[in-house]
Amino acid sequence: MAMRAAILRHIKVPVRSQALAGLRSREWNLSGGALVRFMSSHDEHLTKEEVMERVLSVVKSFPKVDPSTVTPDVHFQKDLGLDSLDNVEIVMALEEEFKLEIPDLEADKIDSTRLAIEYIYNHPMAG
Amino acid sequence: MASAAAKAPSRSEVFSLFRSLLRTARDFSDYNMREYMKRRTIDAFRSNGGLSDPQSVSAAYADGKLQLEVAKRQAIVYSLYAPKVKSVMELKRLKSSFLFME
Repeated sequence: MAMRAAILRHIKVPVRSQALAGLRSREWNLSGGALVRFMSSHDEHLTKEEVMERVLSVVKSFPKVDPSTVTPDVHFQKDLGLDSLDNVEIVMALEEEFKLEIPDLEADKIDSTRLAIEYIYNHPMAG
Repeated sequence: MASAAAKAPSRSEVFSLFRSLLRTARDFSDYNMREYMKRRTIDAFRSNGGLSDPQSVSAAYADGKLQLEVAKRQAIVYSLYAPKVKSVMELKRLKSSFLFME
């Protein structure tokens, strides 16, 4: 018993620095992953299902929209009762969600979830 | 200035200004400024939505243009004094790891 205690006292490991080192290496891994992700543009293309799911969740979280009425094929102004400014707002929110910049001419055409899903799915930089 | 005030902006010009203002709002480094400018832009366009008289439409448009220039400058100034920590409102994804640490 006494010997065990003596040995234990000698091989005490500084827990704090270990934990910190662990954290640091994890951070490094994370940033490495981000770097790889940043350099790749085509290998991890979004699937249609993922695009659809994220588009719908953006539209559903829009304050004036009743989430239960949102389907993959609704017209923003005719079906959801939104106006043209809301339409622009939704397209801007989609830009943020998928880290895109949609030119004005294209953005004006996107007036339904169907067109939004199609546009984003076919966009090479959507992430 | 006189010619700009005389001609009412087209629909697409108005939307373009609306988009530019919302895009500039994203450029602020400070969460509160970002959200304020977004709110302010949307509220202003909504409250001016009923304007029909060309004179007041073009006046509102010209004012929006000026505000856009101000906002662009301010986004740069704010970036020089960016907050060192993020607002707690921006930490949605970190919430679970915070709970874990406790």
